[in-house]
Amino acid sequence: MARPPAPGSVIVPDWHESAEGKEYLACILRKNCRRVFGLLERPVLPPPVAIDTASYKIFVSGKSGVGKTALVAKLAGLEVPVAHHETTGIQTTVVFWPAKLQASDRVVMFRFEFWDCGESALKKFDHMLPTCKEKTDAFLFLFSFTDRASFEDLPGQLARVAGEAPGIVRMVIGSKFDQYMQTDVPERDLTAFRQAWKLPLLRVKSVPGRRLADGRTLDGRAGLADIAHVLNGLAEQLWYQDQVAAGLLPNTSENTPADPYSQPSGDPRQRAAPMS
Amino acid sequence: MGEEGTKGTVHLLCLAASSGVPLFCRSSRGGAPARQQLPFSVIGSLNGVHMFGQNLEVQLSSARTEDTTVVWKSFHDSITLIVLSSEEGTSELRLERLLQMVFGAMVLLVGLEELTNIRNVERLKKELRASYRLIDSFLGDSELIGDLTQCVDCVVPPEGTLLQEALSGFAEAAATAFGSLVVSGRVVAATESWWRLGTPEAVLLPWLVGSLPPQAARDYPVYLPHGSPTVPHRLLTLTLLPGLELCLLCGPRPPLSQLDPQLLDRWWQPVLDPLRACVPLGPRALPAGFPLHMDILGLLLLHLELKRCLFTVEPSADQEPSPEHRRRLLRAFYTLVTASHFPPEPGSPEEKVEDAAQRSQVPRACYLVSGPEGPGTGWRLVALQSGPRRLLLLSAQSPTHALRGLATHTLHALTPLL
Ligand SMILES: Nc1nc2c(ncn2[C@@H]2O[C@H](COP(=O)(O)OP(=O)(O)O)[C@@H](O)[C@H]2O)c(=O)[nH]1
Ligand SMILES: [Mg+2]
Repeated sequence: MARPPAPGSVIVPDWHESAEGKEYLACILRKNCRRVFGLLERPVLPPPVAIDTASYKIFVSGKSGVGKTALVAKLAGLEVPVAHHETTGIQTTVVFWPAKLQASDRVVMFRFEFWDCGESALKKFDHMLPTCKEKTDAFLFLFSFTDRASFEDLPGQLARVAGEAPGIVRMVIGSKFDQYMQTDVPERDLTAFRQAWKLPLLRVKSVPGRRLADGRTLDGRAGLADIAHVLNGLAEQLWYQDQVAAGLLPNTSENTPADPYSQPSGDPRQRAAPMS
Repeated sequence: MGEEGTKGTVHLLCLAASSGVPLFCRSSRGGAPARQQLPFSVIGSLNGVHMFGQNLEVQLSSARTEDTTVVWKSFHDSITLIVLSSEEGTSELRLERLLQMVFGAMVLLVGLEELTNIRNVERLKKELRASYRLIDSFLGDSELIGDLTQCVDCVVPPEGTLLQEALSGFAEAAATAFGSLVVSGRVVAATESWWRLGTPEAVLLPWLVGSLPPQAARDYPVYLPHGSPTVPHRLLTLTLLPGLELCLLCGPRPPLSQLDPQLLDRWWQPVLDPLRACVPLGPRALPAGFPLHMDILGLLLLHLELKRCLFTVEPSADQEPSPEHRRRLLRAFYTLVTASHFPPEPGSPEEKVEDAAQRSQVPRACYLVSGPEGPGTGWRLVALQSGPRRLLLLSAQSPTHALRGLATHTLHALTPLL
């Protein structure tokens, strides 16, 4: 895999908070709630605006209880499960996310399809892991800040799950960051891990966000603000990886840091299709 | 019967029959899941009396106290289920069927092998947690009625043929014979093979889909309690529109990843409008604008041979009583007519051969007035049997003598639908 791009070098980081960004976000909201899309649906922008959609499959991996299902629910703007129930089989969740490219100033609609599978189903049913890995564009490796074993298992996970998968984005996510005070994973261990693996690492807290005035419904905009860094991070890695794969960027060697400003403005997405 | 505000509690206990170890307890109060637990000593005694009987070769099946009905049932000498209900209008019939559904749900999600050959109780307990959601939905106030009628809850879409064709085509493209479209737990359309699924899975599968939190797609292992209790199948679900799911039952193939958005678009974009029309159909069951007499506040139509039913309390929604109350009235009336008036449904365990002689004398209609007595008050319920169809109506206004006519007329109008 290409060396990861520097954060903020591919996607404009705080664009979703700008006036223009907010307008685009309206198409994934409805009355201040996150809109849920069926598989036959896509966000619709007002007629003059037509943007490309870039679709990606993302496999969320990690030991049982680290917070995979909670993270995906949080990203989708749904209620996060309070009690832990192991996920039965595979479940997928679609999240649309408009983001602005640094290089071309163009807005792209990212369509992330998250694949989440319970650990015991993975062990019990042989077809599940291959299905999850098939044609995946990215692996998210979760560990929990409150579970040291899940952190120590990361190298094993990386080898088992993404071993023979070059050219696929790999990201590490530390979950339950809200419980950082009780952490079993000190900062120096993270630093050492980063240096050894050179993988992008994000911290998340998959806890329910602000609610609307009724006290029950989740506030869609507030929820998006909570997770924008994760979605932008993913968009950045995936878009960059595609450009490298299409030969539009040099595959930076181990020692040369990625130059965030050297990207051509042509977009290599094969799968990009105009939105209707 | 079913007065507003009288809300009982239901406790469900599941124990390993040989050791008496509780595997789980679920409760509901006033129709919603509740945390409330029975004391361990009560659980022990309830199981104790049942075991005591068994040792003397006496089958204890039910008991009643002033306000509570208790039903016991063991399955495969391995699992004992006990249910206690203080809900108004509850009955042995309702509770026995509830236990059958609960055990069906347990087999559906963990397989019969794990339940009949318990090697590790702690592991089984953990696995059974996957069935809590489904089981809780039987205990609470559901909009569906298949748990009681053992018939599949259906809705009638406005353009059924178009959807049927798309479904058959898609199922074939996905190389499975079993496909259905489900809107909030009710079947909109299904392939012939899906309709031939046995009881209880025909009822359980759409119910399961309706009870799960929304997800774009799933690859969900299920055991079929009747058809394949020990070998798991794969239930694939694809949310075409929010609330409307395409379900396939398959073996090892196809992988979920093969049912991608392009394939879905090809088959389903052409029927997008008919699909959209299905989304609000759930509680309505009947196509918009279907002419029903304005006195009708709720209806349950059963086809006892096809094992399908239509159930709605949507008509004249602005009037009293509330939807929950209407559902309770119709459920209680169904239980009453099924337990004591109409012949048992074909294939149900209550059916007995010698009943055939009495068949010629069975009533073809019954009615009930519920609530305050006196002209113009209370709710009227009427049931009518004609061939394989049985219709139950809830009405407010109709004078008693007009009920039979109303039911006959309505059954006639509904006959082409089911
Ligand atoms: N406080 C906190 N709890 C979390 C977080 N993520 C997950 N959890 C809780 O951890 C438990 C396991 O989460 P879940 O997503 O079901 O784990 P999975 O097995 O990896 O899918 C649940 O009780 C969640 O509510 C988090 O970021 N913060
Ligand atoms: Mg999970």
